[in-house]
Parts: sequence; C-alpha cells; structure tokens
Amino acid sequence: MSAALFGVAGYLALGVLGFLGRGWLTGALAWAVGAGALIIWAPGFSESALGPGPWGIRLIGDTVALGFWCLALVLHAAILWEERRRKGAFHPLLTLLVGTTLALVISRDLFNLYVCLELTSLLSFLLVGYEGRSASIWASLQYLILTTVGMILYLFGLGLVYGRLGTLALSEIGRLGDPVVSIGAGLLLSGAAVKGGVFLLGLWLPRAHGRAPHSVSAILSGLVVKMGIVALVRLGEAFSAGPVLVALGALTGFGGLLYALWEQDLKYFLAFSTMSQLGYVLLGFGLGAPLGGLLYALAHGLFKALLFLSAGKAIQEAGSRQIAELGGRLPWGPAMGLALGTWSIAGLPPLAGFVAKGLLCADLPPWGKWLVFALGVGTVASFSKLIPLLRPRGNGPSPTGEIPLFLALASFSFWGFFSYPLLFDPELWGQSGLCLGLGLIAFLLARRAHPRLPGLTLDRALLSLILASVGIVLGLLAL
Amino acid sequence: MVLAVLLAGLGLFTLIVRRELIFKLLALNVASGGASLFLVAMARRAGPGVPILGLEPPPAADPLPQALVLTAIVIHFATLALALVYVIFLTEHRHSQDVRRLEKEEE
Amino acid sequence: MRWLAGAATLSLVGLLLFSSLNLSPSLQAPELETMAGMYGVRNAVAAVVLGARLWDTLFEVLVFAMAMVGVRIALRPLGRAQGAPPVPESHLLSQAARLLWGPIAVFALYLAASGHLGPGGGFPAGAILGSGLLLLALAQGTESLAQRVHEGALERLEYAAVALLLCTGTAIAWAGTKSPSWFVAANLLVGLEVAIGAWVVLHRFVAHRGEL
Repeated sequence: MSAALFGVAGYLALGVLGFLGRGWLTGALAWAVGAGALIIWAPGFSESALGPGPWGIRLIGDTVALGFWCLALVLHAAILWEERRRKGAFHPLLTLLVGTTLALVISRDLFNLYVCLELTSLLSFLLVGYEGRSASIWASLQYLILTTVGMILYLFGLGLVYGRLGTLALSEIGRLGDPVVSIGAGLLLSGAAVKGGVFLLGLWLPRAHGRAPHSVSAILSGLVVKMGIVALVRLGEAFSAGPVLVALGALTGFGGLLYALWEQDLKYFLAFSTMSQLGYVLLGFGLGAPLGGLLYALAHGLFKALLFLSAGKAIQEAGSRQIAELGGRLPWGPAMGLALGTWSIAGLPPLAGFVAKGLLCADLPPWGKWLVFALGVGTVASFSKLIPLLRPRGNGPSPTGEIPLFLALASFSFWGFFSYPLLFDPELWGQSGLCLGLGLIAFLLARRAHPRLPGLTLDRALLSLILASVGIVLGLLAL
Repeated sequence: MVLAVLLAGLGLFTLIVRRELIFKLLALNVASGGASLFLVAMARRAGPGVPILGLEPPPAADPLPQALVLTAIVIHFATLALALVYVIFLTEHRHSQDVRRLEKEEE
Repeated sequence: MRWLAGAATLSLVGLLLFSSLNLSPSLQAPELETMAGMYGVRNAVAAVVLGARLWDTLFEVLVFAMAMVGVRIALRPLGRAQGAPPVPESHLLSQAARLLWGPIAVFALYLAASGHLGPGGGFPAGAILGSGLLLLALAQGTESLAQRVHEGALERLEYAAVALLLCTGTAIAWAGTKSPSWFVAANLLVGLEVAIGAWVVLHRFVAHRGEL
C-alpha cells in the first residue's frame, strides 16, 4: 500500500511543482514515479486502512485498480508525447488529473471517492476550458453545473448511509433492504453516474468532450469518465446493486447509440459513442463478468484515445469538424489512426476490441450476450459513416511527424494477440462477422431516416438528471 | 435536517427553471448549502455538545461528519469561484447570461 | 417543463424527507477521549481532518489550489481594465483598516496555531487573513498593496506550500502521528495557502474589473 500511496503523492507533488515552470519535464518525472510505484505494488494489496479505527480511509489494490493504473500511465505517456510542445499550465493540470485518477481507483471509502471525484471534475473543467474559447468555456460551465448537482445528491446519499450505518468504508456496508440505506445508495449511485456520463444523468458529456482541446478529449474519454464508472462499480458492489448497473448500462448503451447514429460532427459523434460504449462496461460489471467489463474499459480507453487524437489531427488538417466534409481530405496518418480505432471499436479481429468483447461475452448469461450483440450492431452502424474518411488525400506534404504516436497506441491496441485462445475461436469470428454485416445493413437503413432528436440543452439535462436519479432510488427501493 | 432537505429542493428547482446563469449559480449554492447543513444535522444527532475535549459536557456531536462538512464547504467554494469566473467570461464574450440564447448561438 | 421540474424535485425532496425522518434514533456517541487521545489533541474535528482522514484533506487543499489556478487561467484572456482602480476617499475606512489589520493578522495566526486545541484551524485562519487583506485593499487600493507584495513570489510560495504539504502529509498519514506540532505546522501551511490563494484571486478580480 505504501508504494501506491507515495506514488500518488509524488505524482501530485510533481504536478504542483510543474506550475513553477518546466511543466512537461515534471510531468514526465511524475510519470516515472507513478510507473515505479506501479511496479512495486503490482502484485496488489488487500484492503488496508489509512488512519485508525472507524475514522480511517480504506484503500485497496485489486485488479480494477491495477488495470486503471496501467491505462492512466499509458494514456498520460501518449498525451505527454502528443503535446510535448505545449507550455504553461497545461501539463501540470494534466499530471494532477492523472495523479488524482490513480488515487481514486485505489479508494474504498465513500468520502475519499467524493473528494477524488471532485478533484478530477475540477481539473477537467479547467482543461476543457483551457484554450479560452467561449464555446469550450460554455461547455465547461455546463459540465460544472451538472456534476455539482450530481455531487450534491452524492453528499445527501453519503449523509444518509453514514447516519444509518455509522461507517464510510465500502466493505462494511451491506444492509440493503433497509429503505433508508436504499435511498442513500440510490443517491450515491446517481451522483457517480452523473460523473460517469451515463445517459440521462451525465448529458454534459457530448458537449464537454466535443468542445475540449483534442488531447484533453482523449484523456477525458479514455480515462476520466471511467472514474465515474469505477465509483459506480465500487458502490454497486458494496450495495449489491447489480441490476441497477445493468439497467444503467443498457440505458446508456442504447441512448448514446441513438444520438451517435445520426450525429454529423466528428467529435460530438465520438463523444456520443463513448457514452454508448460505457454500456458494455456497466453490463459486464452488473452481470457478474467483472474481468470482461474491466478489460473492455481498458480497451475502450486505448482505442477511444486513439480515435480522439486522430480526429483532432484530422480536424486540424482539414479545417472542418463535419464528417461529410472530411472525406478525401485527410493525410494518411490520421486516416490510419481513425481506421485502426474504428476497426477496434467495431470488435473485429484481431484488435483489442475483439478480445475484450469476447472475454466479456464469455461470462455473460445468454440475454446479456444478446444485449452486447445488439450494441455491437449499433456501434458498427454508427461508425460506418467514417468509412469515406479512410480515402486518403491524393497529394500534399506527407505528415511523417505524427506516425510514432499512432504506432505506439496501435501497438497497445494489439495486445489482443496475447490472449491467444479467443483469437482462434470460430464462434467469436462468426459473431463479429454477423455483427459487421447486420451493422452495415442497419447503417444503410438508418441513412434513410432523419429523425429529429431533442437537443440536449442544459435545462433538459438538469431535469433528466433529477428524474433519472429519482428513478434509480425507486429502483433500488424495489430491489 | 428538514430545513436542509427543503433548501436543497428549493435550490434544485430554481436551478432548473431560472434562465439566467447567475441565478442558476445562486441556486446551486443554496442546494450545496443544504447538503452541508444536512451533514451537520447528521452530526448533531449524536449529541448537542461541541466535539472538543473538555469544553462542554458530553454527549458531543459526531466529529466525523463535521470534518467532512469542512472539506465539502471548501470544495463548494472552490467550484463556485471557478463557475463565477466562467460566467464573467461568457458575459464578456457573448454579452448574455441567458441560457437559451447561449444555447442558440451554439448551433 | 416547469411542472415536470416541480414534480421531480418534489419527489426527490419527499424521498429525502422520508428517509431523514426514518433514521434510527441515534448512533452510539463518539468517544472523544479515544480519538483525541490517539493524536494528542483536544479538538476531535482537527484529529479527524489532520489525523485520521489526512489523505482526504490533502485532496481538499489541492481542490482549493486548483480552483485558484483556474481563476487565474480563465481571467487571463480577459485582460486588465484600463488604468489603476480608484481608491475610495474615506478617512474612516483607512483609519479602521490601519487599526484593525494588526489584530486581524494576529487573530488568524492564533487560530491556525491553536486549531488543535479549540475551534479554529487552517482554513478559517486563511479565510480571515484573506478578508483582512480585502479590508486593506478597500482602504488603500489594490494596486498599492499589490506593489508591496510581489505576486510571482507569492504564487511560488503557494505552490511550494502545497507540494510540501502533499509530501509530508502523505508520510504522516502513512506513519500516523501523535505529536501536536504536526497539527500546528499543517494548520499554518494550510492557512498560508488559503490566504495567498484568496489574495491572488481577489487581486485578479479587482484588476480585471477596474474597481472594487
């Protein structure tokens, strides 16, 4: 435990010192400290208390924590490379954000989770609005208002649970059936779901991710929304609220998909797709396939970061955010990145998405498999509109400088090679082929339709947040 | 405790219905005040005394929620300060605090 | 929309009221003696904040520091107002500020240093010191005050304080402590951080608006 603790502290302290100057260098140093700490505590540690008795904070180094430390370090390295020329407060803020996520995933304490969630939110607001354009500041303000409401609900839930059970340690909670605890648990879950960008609760996600600087979108989508999901998973485990996680997963999966299918702005589209992909993770954890859910979260972190980084490059090169206007105007670096990411997110062999989906499905009950399959078809259908972008630009200067990063991230996407048996499972190949075929058909059908989906304004997002949290509380009461 | 809940409800309702950003922030502040008050009320259920040794006769209030409130208040203050700066920014750049107009310009 | 919002918040309030009225009579009374004795301090809240739950407090300090950084970043592109802000000509105010400034500073210091024994602690102390600075700024104008304290140095001091707090705080959270001197030091550091943050933000706001 001490290694993890001091790793986090070193990360944060170096991040703060970065404000004094040389932000990139301190960020890289912090990364090294974090990696060293990870190597030391990698075997994991069982739940242990920091501070005495009932007042202390419980920390744990389980598989979830381990996986997310790896993801955080990989993504931080990628962004450090990508933004190596950026000066000022950017790198310190990023380092602090990554350091906070490291602290969050090892926490097993209600209030420690709250503090870490607030710090990740605050740093995300700053990074979303970092470039000081009014559209991104507005997106950031919406993000701020919605997450603050979520955190108020969380505090009420915390008060109720503490008032009833007298403890903040997640492992000592376990009296569902008591209505007060159920209501408290519902509020806690709603708060975490707001932070995790779950559909209807976290409707800040498309705007914030769509309007943030490109590399910030990558880290937000790849890592930071998963923090809300981690909190959700930890809470769901403590209150044994698996069915609620499943319901939220299905909701965010199909809700995000609905908006992603017809979205024409590239970054908004990727953001809606993030919302929908979180559904897989929640389904996995809710239906008793935690390993599959975790692996899917990690795989999604990698390929969505790749997609956002490539999309950022593409938008810079082509000067437009509309998918229809980007076709045939991309140099091959970003086009390759988009292609790899799309391939992986569609769950086609042999990339990370395929393996993670295979592992997820292996542990699910049959109807869970059908849900995942339906989501997969929808994902293919929505990503099919990126196909025209893969036609590379005929001439023009070849952008060599941007390939290493893509190769680096792509090679991580290839870790699928190491989980050998799944790769040669004929059933999985058949499934993914079927998924691809049906998805393409669905894409062609969806292109005919032009539904008018309700716009996601701030007031509507607030209202749906409150309504959905009431729904979660009632659902938990009914359990 | 009832007051705390009512405050939060009032804050959240105002947050949804008012259109001006500055009122939204005020409402948010009221609601978070409600949450803090709720925790303080929770602490007082253990006893009315100040949780300082030798100052008042026991039973004293539970010090843990009080410590949590201390943290929560600072966090709310920090978030509110940032939100206010963002509102200043938006009023200078868009000359409007009306949520619906800001949304419309976004399209 | 309005009706739906009303219904939604009302149902939420109803659920909350139901549960808060149905809480069990009370938890067992906290054992102040054990908690305070464990850390050698009398203020049990301080024992929680700077002892048992020090790990949370470190993040709290970071939240505050980052919000102050955010205010600076977001205000920077807006630029400064033209000219120095006017100083209000009030004899009463300037005299009062001159008189009160000393006691305010001493009181803040006292609160920070005795936070482990009685009510007080780093955050209120920093806030009080910050409002003392506000009073001075009201009386003398922010610019003359800003010229006397070097802002860049203050910021560096603030970051250094936070980083120091992070490192020592983690070590102490891990090892546990019984010594009251840690509480004094931590309270002073937190107070310093909060006061500097408050002052820098205040100054930026004023410099941006052009008046107080």
